[in-house]
Amino acid sequence: MQLNLVQAINDALRLEMRRDDRVVVLGEDVGRVGGVFRVTQGLWEEFGDDRVVDTPLSEGGIVGTAIGMALYGLVPIPEIQFADFIYPAYDQIVSELAKMRWRSGGEYAAKLVVRAPVGGGVRGGVYHSQSPESLFIHIAGLKVVCPSNPHDAKGLLLASIRDPDPVLFFEPKRIYRAAKGEVPEGDYTVPLGKAAIVREGRDVTVLAWGAMLHEAAVAAADAAAQGIDCEVVDLRTLWPVDIDAIVTSVKKTGRVVVVHEAPRTCGFGAELVALISERAFLQLEAPPVRVCGFDTPFPYALEMEYLPLARRIVPALLETAKY
Amino acid sequence: MDTLALRSPPPLGALRDDGSLDPSQCAMLSEELAVALYEHMVVARALEGRVAELNLEGAASHHAGAAGREATAVGAAAAMSDADWIFPTTREFAAALWRGMPLSAYAHHVLGTDCDAGKGRSAPGAPFWKAARVACASPLAGTQIPHAVGAAWAARMCATDAAALVFFDEEATRCGDFHAGLNFAGVTRAPVVAVCRTDSAAEARHTGRKGVAVQATAYGLRGTRVDGGDVVAVLGVVREARLRAAAGLGGTLIEAVVAPIADPAAGADPDPITRMRRHVEARGLWSDERERHLWSEVRADVEQAFAQAAAARQPTRETLFDDVYADLPWHLREQRAETSAGRY
Repeated sequence: MQLNLVQAINDALRLEMRRDDRVVVLGEDVGRVGGVFRVTQGLWEEFGDDRVVDTPLSEGGIVGTAIGMALYGLVPIPEIQFADFIYPAYDQIVSELAKMRWRSGGEYAAKLVVRAPVGGGVRGGVYHSQSPESLFIHIAGLKVVCPSNPHDAKGLLLASIRDPDPVLFFEPKRIYRAAKGEVPEGDYTVPLGKAAIVREGRDVTVLAWGAMLHEAAVAAADAAAQGIDCEVVDLRTLWPVDIDAIVTSVKKTGRVVVVHEAPRTCGFGAELVALISERAFLQLEAPPVRVCGFDTPFPYALEMEYLPLARRIVPALLETAKY
Repeated sequence: MDTLALRSPPPLGALRDDGSLDPSQCAMLSEELAVALYEHMVVARALEGRVAELNLEGAASHHAGAAGREATAVGAAAAMSDADWIFPTTREFAAALWRGMPLSAYAHHVLGTDCDAGKGRSAPGAPFWKAARVACASPLAGTQIPHAVGAAWAARMCATDAAALVFFDEEATRCGDFHAGLNFAGVTRAPVVAVCRTDSAAEARHTGRKGVAVQATAYGLRGTRVDGGDVVAVLGVVREARLRAAAGLGGTLIEAVVAPIADPAAGADPDPITRMRRHVEARGLWSDERERHLWSEVRADVEQAFAQAAAARQPTRETLFDDVYADLPWHLREQRAETSAGRY
């Protein structure tokens, strides 16, 4: 069936809620309204008040109570309306959720999937556009996922819900409706920790995810027209990242460009470049390059200048290829 | 309503100075339960005294004091049903003892041995006992309040009649998680009993504050105050709150006013343990002989527990990497291999 990203995520939630009655969705306006982006539309009608819960506006309360529900044995899937609003829940996620299994010697675990839309390009300005993935990748005990297409969104969300560890599931809202594609009916998973090579190439490896994967693909097509053959890798799971796929690709091409929306400094690109340097130092033919958001807050009027769109990626590919 | 006129009510008490019970407060204290409450408070005090000594000797890290607060922890834990969850702070190890956590488990925890259920990862004071649904607390102020509300809410969703008991210090009432947790409790009518310990001396200093119990009204919860040094009164108030919660009438915020004791070895007056001792004596359940026997037995048990723990090994370096995730991902496998091989 042809679905967009919103419909694919909705399909995954519905499928898993039918399969597993421990699964509960909660968040601001996720019930009757169906969520601010309509990702949970129709779930309240099918599953009722007890499994699709409209909560007070309190991200700390949403995640904090979800942790308690998970300790009891449910599998809560809290929605944070925008990733920009996740910081009031940061203490609960970092201090409690991420450390529950470890500090209890493996006896207790709080299994939940925190869903949140990320990224810019929707004229959302400072507080509806951020990409905070590296703040969570840095925290031991969390897994972080960011799909780029409907097929992966459904399969990765099902895998995230069934994974024993807490998962931050970041949904690139710029392509919520723009990304359409064939999605299998029924049950399937896309395994966590596995990247996808979306374009094979010999000259430069491009690492991207989420909405920027599409910009990277456009840039690679542009570069191909100029004789540069890029390999585009969709990381899909950011942590634990598919290190083998990355290293294999970079050893082949000897050159790498990382693309992400978050600010460059201490962004996930920094870790990727470090990992590559440690593992493929002798194969590198050019300095790794990061094409990222700037080290500024996310702008409203100038968001298309801020985002690492294809027009910023192409020069990086050409320079890296010719270094 | 003139909100300025709102005052927290005077704390409820049950134990009188002569050891008798206020009949209006308590008609449900069996002889067996009275003795058990008393004995558990003594165990908690003796245990803390030993931990304080070990701290002075440098054998154990700092331990959040619980002396003077035993009646609140033991009385509240004793009021709950076995299927209920307990979310303690680092000062409520007595609640875990009531639920059956053995002294040896606490000793291994305090010394951080490889027999500690928490594998020596948390500093002393945060005991958990999964077999009896005592949750694993962090030392952060109030973060466990929404957890308790969520667990209670889940119990109701699952149509069981389990409830959750959560302890916290009065300091936590200034934090966001207190508000978030109690707001969710009011909105969801989750069966939760929230016990806030207020230090009676600190309360006297905060003359501008109107107490904690009055805040319950704003959340749609029932609010009540109890003498937190009176184990029987705590038992009664928490039992009533638990019954209301299980009956679907919503949660209760209980403010337990306690007088912490700085030096557990020296005791204090009034001491919650002495007050309960007067009661078991007045009922003819106790004697000087039993008192001497209890203390010597408890001290010997504590000594043996710590001797065993002291003989246990530290966790191995490799265990550091376990339980971060359910399975070991590649980066932790790599770091474990590096440290095992003596690399940086």
